[in-house]
Order: sequence, then structure tokens, then C-alpha cells
Amino acid sequence: MSGESSVSEGTNVEGEAPVVEPTVETDDATITDESELERTLGLTGGLAIGIGTMIGAGIFVFPGLAAGRAGPAAAVSFSIGAVVALLVALPTSELATAMPKSGGGYYFISRGLGTLAGAVVGLSLWFGLVFATAFYLVGFGYYAVDTLAELGIAVGEGLVIPIALLFGAGFTVLNVTGTENAAKLQNGVVALLLSILIVFLGYGGLESVGLVGDPAAPERFAPFGAMPVFTTAALVFTSYLGFAQVATVAGEMKDPGRNLPLAMVGSVLIVGVLYVVTIFVATSAFGSETLSGFGETAMVEVGRDYLGPIGAFAIVFGGLLATMSSANASVLSTSRAIYAVSRDALLPRRASRINLRYGTPHTALGMAGGPILVLTATGRVELLAEVASFLHLIMYGLICVALIALRRNEPEWYDPDFRVPGYPVVPALGAISSFALIGFMQPASLYVGTGIMIATAGWYAYYARDVTLKGQL
Amino acid sequence: MTRILVPLAILEGESVSAGLTSLLQPMNVTVLGYHVVPEQTPPDQARLQYEERATDALEDLASEFGAEDGTAEYRLVFTHDRTQTIDRVAAETGSDVYAIRGATGPVDRLLVALTGDVAVERICSFVAELIGDREIGATLFLATDDEEGGRELLELAATPLADRGIDVRTELAVDEPPFEALLDAAADHDAVVMGERAPSLRSLVFGEEADRVAAGSVGPVLVVRQREDDSEESADRTANGDDS
Repeated sequence: MSGESSVSEGTNVEGEAPVVEPTVETDDATITDESELERTLGLTGGLAIGIGTMIGAGIFVFPGLAAGRAGPAAAVSFSIGAVVALLVALPTSELATAMPKSGGGYYFISRGLGTLAGAVVGLSLWFGLVFATAFYLVGFGYYAVDTLAELGIAVGEGLVIPIALLFGAGFTVLNVTGTENAAKLQNGVVALLLSILIVFLGYGGLESVGLVGDPAAPERFAPFGAMPVFTTAALVFTSYLGFAQVATVAGEMKDPGRNLPLAMVGSVLIVGVLYVVTIFVATSAFGSETLSGFGETAMVEVGRDYLGPIGAFAIVFGGLLATMSSANASVLSTSRAIYAVSRDALLPRRASRINLRYGTPHTALGMAGGPILVLTATGRVELLAEVASFLHLIMYGLICVALIALRRNEPEWYDPDFRVPGYPVVPALGAISSFALIGFMQPASLYVGTGIMIATAGWYAYYARDVTLKGQL
Repeated sequence: MTRILVPLAILEGESVSAGLTSLLQPMNVTVLGYHVVPEQTPPDQARLQYEERATDALEDLASEFGAEDGTAEYRLVFTHDRTQTIDRVAAETGSDVYAIRGATGPVDRLLVALTGDVAVERICSFVAELIGDREIGATLFLATDDEEGGRELLELAATPLADRGIDVRTELAVDEPPFEALLDAAADHDAVVMGERAPSLRSLVFGEEADRVAAGSVGPVLVVRQREDDSEESADRTANGDDS
């Protein structure tokens, strides 16, 4: 890979070369030689993607699991996750405003660090998103079963996986055939969720600090010591993966120099605060042992404890919406991630074909949906979440490294609207903390994650060794 | 010269009828080929697959509108949002008018509806420019509850057109439902010229008035776009009228 002479273009095994065209970016459109690409997503849309992707996991799936592992100190675990996410979101914002294109983290790394790193991250991101989506779907399955239970139909946990599979297949088919504009729906869902949560957390928060209701029984803050706080942080980090999904739609965002940083940093801040308050409220309502016993839908019992049946119903309904919106947003991000690597000839060009009837990328959606269903069938919530986090954290760490590499030797085209404050400390800390968090994961997750990365590197060596991406815009 | 934007869903086979092409031929025309992609699809992905085909179709269309004489050009946009694209390109190209395509043969007579929030003077001066010295007549149409005021306004608007040698008629609909009256009048004409209307609850529910006229009359509709200063202009006019 020759860094400076970026004109040289290699081809993959099938003789396809990356599609790289000179473009001019304005606030409203991307202009190429022959055509223009309208930027249609505003700040609200960006925030809705970020928050909508994240909120399902952090609030509606993890509280019980996290409290069981770390006690009330799980709030600290979520705070650690928020800090790491923020340290990465800032450098990601700078790179996204410098390269406001679809592809997100993969794009920055392939241009900043070269094809091998790009291929590993790009293909790993595909699998990372697949693991994350499977995780959201299993969470959705639990909430669906709980909804039925609230309605008086007890079906038992045996139906969690079948329901998750059914809806996973449903989302994939809907995304191929449905051409209705769902973006406005997503905005509405996120707004509704935030309202439910703010009412609920507001009331719960007042009660937990003892202003209303009965004082809660005191409990030791970190009953299991400091180590579980960090391992829990590694587990629940899946709750923060959404901000990078905002970067995958960077090419469609209006006024990217302003909206991208605001949407990424803003969504991390908003959900981070909500998570910490949620854990605080949840662990105030019940002891962490009880909470852990409720499992994936512990929040429903918390809702019941504070606001009776209405609270339980509101949380069940919110949980259904939130896990659904997370799963659906991730399916879309997966398809975009596949498109980004296929455009660069790291996967066959066929993968980004659009079908004539619906105008949707059916191949990429299928390459997302198929593996998602396989993984959903395993039903291993914690493993799915950690592998998803693992693969994303590798990307996050490398994004920070790519930023430092680009800044040390700024190419001519590098002109971001947003520059990360506190350079080089912030990106360096972002890289270190991303990689460090991986160290606290379960061995099984590490094996699976590492195996996927080795496989993607092998694919690169076989398929796209001659492709050069570094420095190309 | 006024520039007219002609938006077409180019990959869905939308084309322009011969009557509209020859009506707009002397004007500056920007053919806007757009393709609306569903939100699952990044616009760039659609571009990769369809750009060539769309460009071929647009080049042919632009040459029909007079690309060789330098009066026509084309733009190709992949978008999630048709309205946003039309507004942006209209603003960038300085197009004061946009056309909604429709089926028509040779145009002999235009229906000019003095509606919307655009100053009557702007609509009429566009009509004069469009017709030029061609053998095309114009019918000025107004629907109002105030018969006397309406007649006065029509006379006032018709005079400068008649002075230019254009065959002008006027048609006043009093106490009729304005939209239906406009559609009835459009039936005897080959194309409609009208002013843009500011978005309202009504347009939110039923769709934009111009689009509904186009759908109801089947023929092409030329919409004179609103300008920033239009609302002030018409406010001034009303104020002056009240004073006198």
C-alpha cells in the first residue's frame, strides 16, 4: 500500500475496482460529475436514529442483568460506557464532517489506515451489526412474551425465540418490500419513548431519593467489588452502539458539519443520562438480587412497583417499541455497511444490487437478515451483546487511531468542519479505553470476536489483496 | 428570460408531451430528472446502478427543449424527498416557474388562474413572455365572492396582455366553489398557468392545489413560484386599495 500515490487502483479477484468519484459536498447535496444526491435527513432524524438504536438495549434489556452482576454500582458501569462512547463520538464526529459519506467508521478507517484495516473493520462491522440486531430481537421476544402475559395469556419463555425469529424475518421482508416512508414513524416512536421514560423516571427518581412514597431499603453500593463494575461496563456497552449508526447515514444528512456532531454527541449524552437514572431508579425499587431474578424484562416489575398496572403496561409497551426500533434501525445499518464495502470492491458488487420492483437493496438486506436469524436462534443474550460490542469497540479504537494518523500528516482534502477538542488527548484516550474495555469481556465473546476478525482478514488476503483505498476520497 | 423547471420521475418513464415541449421551447428550461429512492437505499447506491440510464433519457429530453440552442439544460438528482429536491433545484437555478407535466396536443389557449399567493402582475408578465408573438390565446380566470371587485381586477390584468396583441378573454366565477369552477374552465383549455399557494392545512390534507388541478384537468400546469417578497407585495396592494 503506497500512502501518497492514491491514484493507483487495484482490483479484487473478480476484477472489480472500487468506485471512487470526485464529489463536491454542499450542505444540501453531494454533487458528482453527472448527478446530485439530495441530503434529506435533519438533526431530528439523526438523533432519532442514534437514540432509537440505543435505547432498546440499555433501558429495556440490561437493567436486570447488570444489577445482578454489579449491584447498584451498575449505574457506574453505564457511566463508564457513556464516557467511552463520548470519547469515541467526538473523534468520529470530526472524521464524519471531513468525510460525510455513507459507510461511517469503515470509510474513515479504510481511508485513514488502508485497505487491510478497512476490510477487517468493514466486514466485522457487518457481523457486529448482525450480532447487535440478533440481541435486540431476543430482547424484543422477551417483551412480546411479557406483553402477552400482561394481557392474561401466559405462554412461557419457550416462545421468546420463535417470536424473535418471526419478527426478524418480518423486518427483513418489510425492508425489502416496504417503500413507505418509515422515518417519520421512527421520529414519533422515539419521541413517545422519551416521554414515557421521562414521566416514569421523573416519578421513580423522586421516590428513590425519598421525596414521595416509602423510603427504599438501603443496599451496599458495590456488593461484589470493583471488578464486576468493569465487566458489566463491557457487557452493557452494546447500549451505546447507535451513535456510530448515525455515521452510516452521514451522506444523507443535511448540513453535515453541524448536524453530525450534534446528533452523535447529543444522542450519547441523552441516552447516557437516561441509562444512569434508570439503573438508579431500578435498583432503588428492588434489591439487585430480586432485580436480577426478573431477567431481561426486569423494568416491567420496576414499573409495576412505582405506578401499578399502568406503569407495568407503559414499560411493556415502551419495551416492545424500543427493541423493535433498535432491531429495525440495525437491519438498515447492516445493509448500508454491506453496501459500503461492496462499493469498494471488498465484497462482490452484486451485493449492492437494487431490485427494480421496490428500489431496495434486497441482496444486502438478505445478507443482513439471514445471519441475524441464525444468531437469534441461539438466544444467548449476553454473548450476542458482548460480541457486538467487541466488534464495534475494535472499530471505535481504530477510528481514534485513524484520526491521529490523518492529523499527523493532514492530506490536502482533509478539512473537517468540526475539530475534536483536546486533541491528541481525547482520541488517544478514546482508543485506549475502547481497547481496554474489550479486556473485561467473557472469554467466549473474545474467542468469537477474534475468530470473526481473523476470518475477515483471511477474506481480504484472498479476495481483495490488490485493492488500494488509503487516501482515496 | 424566465427559467422554467420541469421535474420528471425520469426512471419511471415520465416524459413530456409534444404540446408542452413546443409551448416551453422558446423559454429557458431546466429538466430536473429525479429518482425517489426508499429510505432503505442510500441515494448513492441507486446512482451507481441507474445513473447511466437516467442520463441517456435526460439528454434526449433536454435536446427536445432546445439544448443545442443553449436554452435547455438538465440536472439529475437521487433523493428521498421529491418536494425538497424540486424546491432546492428551483432556487439554485433561479427558476420562477415549474411545470407539472400533463397530456396535451398543440396549445392554442391557456387558462390563467389568478389564484394563489403570487402577485397578479407576476403571473401576467410571465404569460406575456411565454406567449411572445405566438398565436396562443389566454383566458384570465378568477373565482371570487365579490363580483364587482373581481371584474375590475380581471380588466386591470387583461389590458397589458391585450396591448401586446394577445387574444385575451376573461372568465369570472362568482359564488361557486373555486376549485371546481377552475377545473370546469380548464376543460376547454390546453394548459393552465397558476400561482403557487403557501402551504396550509388544506394543502396538507388534500395535497397542493396545483397538483390537484393537474390531476383533475389531465393537462399540463405551469406554476409561478412564490417569492420571499410576494406576501408583502400583496399585503401592500390590499393596504393601498383600502386607502383609496
